[in-house]
Amino acid sequence: MNSIEGYLAKAAGREKVHVGEDITVKVDLAIAHDVTGPMAVEQFRKIGINRVFDPHKVVFVIDHIIPAATIDAKIGQNTLKAFAREFGVKVYDRADGVIHQIIAEKHRLERGSILVGADSHTCTAGAYGALAIPVGATELAATMATGTLDLEVPETYEIRLEGRLQPGVYAKDVILHLIGRFGTNGFTDKAVIYTGSLVKHLSIDEKMTISNMGIEMGTMISYFADSNESIGEVKKVFTFQAEEIKACVACSPNPGNFAKAADVAGTKISQVVIGSCTNGRLSDMKIAAEVLKGRKAAKDVLLLIIPASKDIAQEMEDQGLTRIFREAGGVVTSPGCGPCFGAHMGLLAAEDVAVSTTNRNFPGRMGHREAKVFLASPRLAAESAVAGEIVSPGTVAPLGGV
Amino acid sequence: MAWNNKLKGRVWKFGTNVDTDQILPGYAMAAPEDKLKEYALAGSAIPDFAHKVQPGDIIVAGDNFGCGSSREQAPVALKEAGVALIIAKSLARIFRRNSINIGMPVLVADIADKIENGREIEVDLVTGEITLLPTGEKVKGQALAPNVLETLECGGLIAKVRRHLNPSNG
Repeated sequence: MNSIEGYLAKAAGREKVHVGEDITVKVDLAIAHDVTGPMAVEQFRKIGINRVFDPHKVVFVIDHIIPAATIDAKIGQNTLKAFAREFGVKVYDRADGVIHQIIAEKHRLERGSILVGADSHTCTAGAYGALAIPVGATELAATMATGTLDLEVPETYEIRLEGRLQPGVYAKDVILHLIGRFGTNGFTDKAVIYTGSLVKHLSIDEKMTISNMGIEMGTMISYFADSNESIGEVKKVFTFQAEEIKACVACSPNPGNFAKAADVAGTKISQVVIGSCTNGRLSDMKIAAEVLKGRKAAKDVLLLIIPASKDIAQEMEDQGLTRIFREAGGVVTSPGCGPCFGAHMGLLAAEDVAVSTTNRNFPGRMGHREAKVFLASPRLAAESAVAGEIVSPGTVAPLGGV
Repeated sequence: MAWNNKLKGRVWKFGTNVDTDQILPGYAMAAPEDKLKEYALAGSAIPDFAHKVQPGDIIVAGDNFGCGSSREQAPVALKEAGVALIIAKSLARIFRRNSINIGMPVLVADIADKIENGREIEVDLVTGEITLLPTGEKVKGQALAPNVLETLECGGLIAKVRRHLNPSNG
């Protein structure tokens, strides 16, 4: 068995599991947010039991539409909070941050643990070795009742990342490169293990950026191997040399629509979003602040800065980053998902073009169906904000220390 | 609606990578469950789908239908709008499971290039066989797995969990 199969077997209470087999695994943590959670708790109530499997192993985070932008959104949040009170479940309801960041900061699981989340980017937790499986509301309700999840043992693929990244190339470029290579359904229903010498040098923040977007290739599980882990046998190994990865973007209409930054340079933009569960962490903010220090966002660009958590927002203030962003003309918002999924805080009209460090750019994702969204690293986003058009890293500010 | 493994309906064709933002846009995600159907496929190439769809209609799509977010509102909107079945060359994992969990069948088959919009087809979910009407041409889809059939027969995952937790009054 490989690492994924080994952990699944352990969670299923079995000695061995085989690819394709239907198994039932014990769940270590079940999570939901204000969009999926209200439906999950309604479904849970239909099951007709009076307790969740373990109140300490269920966490809700209100992150998508907080503060509520509509009455319906607030009704859903109230539903979630009432359930949390009644069943003794922890709920984060003060714009504490994006669910995946909160789980990493306050509820981080041990390697090999099973995390089930009613959000597709639950796979973010694979950065620290959790087997993080995204589900919908009904499946989460079932897990909240039983403490288990039914799944089929996936085929496992290894993505080996060797070498070091070039200046101006970041974890975001790595994952956009991979999605471009494998496509938006390249690993549907599969598990992916990341290994290689580059991985040893990546910070946890960088690993989270990469694992976060595993779902954009369809993965069931995205998992970073430990530094000396022997992962065992996999279906196939794909090797990439980090030096060959270029600064890039994903163009509309999907995250697999890869282009080198140089090939789209000069595209005029009207909004830049730096934040989200993909790239809203302190290290991302430092990269953006290095560029924006003493510079201004171009006059036709609305620059939105959205910390992924309250702790990150605090550090940004303590380290002077928030001031840098404001002086650059940026709008620093409360922690949360921001406009990433198109419900509030920065929607686009048909003629708008955005550079965003978020994870999706399907039609209508951030507003109008015809709006264009280029997914990119914080560095490329910050430099483009200053230039007023897409630029390659190093154009506005020199690479390697500003 | 009682479980019926044989369906007959009119086809709505969609392309590849029809993601959940197109099926149920972000701005509509917090809408109450009984209103979701009004937004079914509002962000897609057929934005007025919700007004045109008839109960029992079948969606036929290319690769990766339902990719993107885990929002169960997406399949719920389709089901409530009257969609009886989704046939796609491939489906994204979460959407596929969400559909089954709410009792809406999905079938993997590559028929988008074989038929035109509005055509009637017959489908046997147990065998995975699709009959194109009126010619009677048959296309083999992937038969549903036994555990999927069990969930659909129960009417969805919640009913199945109820039955498992409390077999006596299931």
